[in-house]
Amino acid sequence: MHLTSARRNKLSASTISKHAVLVALSFLAIFPLYWMIVTSLKSEGEIFNASLLPHHWTFDHYKMAWDSIPMARMLGNSIGVSLLQTICQVVTSILAAYAFTRWDFRGSSLIYGLIGLTWLVPFQVIMIPNYVVISNFGWRDTLTGLIVPNIVSAFAVMQLYNAFKSFPKALIEAARLDGASDWSILWRTVFPNLKASIASIGILLFITSWNDYFWPLLVTTKMEHSTIQKGLQMFMSSEMNLWGPLMAATTIASLPVLILYLLLQRQIIDSFVKGGLR
Amino acid sequence: MNYDSAAATGTLSQPKAKLRAKKERQALPVRLAKLKPYLYLLPVMLSIAYWIYRPLIQTFRLSFYEWNLLPTSAEKYVGMKNFRNIVTLPEMGTALLNTLIYTVGVIPFALIIPIAIAIMTDNIGKRSKNMYRALIFLPMIMAPVAVSSVWRWIMHPTNGILNQTLQSWFGLAEPIRFFSDAKWAIWSITFITGWKLIGFSTLIFSAAMTGINREYYEAAKIDRASRWQIVRHITLPLLSPTILFMTMLSTLFASEWSFSYVNVLTQGGPLGSTTNIYYLLWKYGFQTFSVGWSSAAAVLIFIGFGIIALGFMKLTRKLSFFDD
Repeated sequence: MHLTSARRNKLSASTISKHAVLVALSFLAIFPLYWMIVTSLKSEGEIFNASLLPHHWTFDHYKMAWDSIPMARMLGNSIGVSLLQTICQVVTSILAAYAFTRWDFRGSSLIYGLIGLTWLVPFQVIMIPNYVVISNFGWRDTLTGLIVPNIVSAFAVMQLYNAFKSFPKALIEAARLDGASDWSILWRTVFPNLKASIASIGILLFITSWNDYFWPLLVTTKMEHSTIQKGLQMFMSSEMNLWGPLMAATTIASLPVLILYLLLQRQIIDSFVKGGLR
Repeated sequence: MNYDSAAATGTLSQPKAKLRAKKERQALPVRLAKLKPYLYLLPVMLSIAYWIYRPLIQTFRLSFYEWNLLPTSAEKYVGMKNFRNIVTLPEMGTALLNTLIYTVGVIPFALIIPIAIAIMTDNIGKRSKNMYRALIFLPMIMAPVAVSSVWRWIMHPTNGILNQTLQSWFGLAEPIRFFSDAKWAIWSITFITGWKLIGFSTLIFSAAMTGINREYYEAAKIDRASRWQIVRHITLPLLSPTILFMTMLSTLFASEWSFSYVNVLTQGGPLGSTTNIYYLLWKYGFQTFSVGWSSAAAVLIFIGFGIIALGFMKLTRKLSFFDD
């Protein structure tokens, strides 16, 4: 009796310390976001005091941020670029993953290796030649210039390859015996069954492309033609000390990803953890 | 998995004979069918060839030329001069040293703290685990520019909440100028890079922990092993593939991850104290328009990090017997 109660005490102490550590880590993770949102809602006079909640809630900063930069235009650009880019990346990687898992063909491991090796090529190593090409095509300050170099994601190919590999060969064989063509096997048999993993990779690609900053930084010069990330950075460097509107703009720029995360955090976390960083 | 291969071999033997007969009859369509995988791969192959391997080769070529990025000006062949120049530049030395600082500085956030937390908090209830996961992972999905913007506000010298708190708790005489003091700036950037990573790494290690067979722990407990002995002789060795993976990621990418914070928050300053090797490439390429220098530095980076990556891959193969 005495022993068990001592043990239980010890157990709860260790449980408490576990929770303490995790609460501290959670606080570190979410405080900056909390502070961003709270600052954006405080009135002008309150911003510089450290109160944890606004006394007077106001959307003035949002209005100001919205009016001082072409926010709607940049959000539209970001949505367009991210959606189109994600769709292209998903479709191209579905086709590639299907090819790798459906057939044995000469050079397949070489091609796969070349796709895999691209993660060793940092953006900064290839940016100048790509920038030159985009300029020569007259694609600077265009959505085409933002999207076309990114229609393939090596990461997505490799992730989908793993998903496709686990798809039962017997089902493909059965569809083939029914006289289905390879194309319709892909879209009628394989695709519907792998929708969930394709969707979670798609979400990850969307977030990555929404957050991308380097390429828009290079390819676009004007806010009107740029994505929200580049616009936010330009707003930051032009309005050094307008913290309220800056936090409002930052919140707006983060909102789509935050909403996605709120709805689908389980899938998002799983696909990130499974896929590593790229 | 087992069941597919069994089923596949069962059904394959029959159609194979039919296929052979077909092959003899329709030589052309069969030959076309052989092209099929390549057709499916075409978009991916063309795109990576054009947007990754072509520019990579061009960067190698440009590293032997002098050019200022203007389409009207001519490229001038200069041989190894760019390489000789950049390796003797003091800027290059600073940038390399800073790259090392970022790489080492991120290790506590990518490895040490996450491993400690993952081990400490193993076996926590499922419900609360999911809640913590959702919270600590959040920084990972935030855009680097947004992250920079928020931290710049929090770490602002006079109005930021961090300095206000530090001053009221520790009575600092002067606020810390996190981004404009050359002593602090690189650590501030490292911290932000690490902040974004720490939750993600923790989840990776927690996931790896759940894969460890509980029987090892039971056996060790029966042998009266202490908590530390269990960690040292069971948990850490079994985590070693994951540790190696995260070490590789942070070694290869720490500087690339910090690049956006450097660009947004300090532009490499003050006095070059936050410039890392990637930022130097950027500066040479798009601020001073010395394409040759930028390309030569890019070639060195590519080769350097390539060798490191190969080393890690070899190590991974050596260590893979730990995967059970």
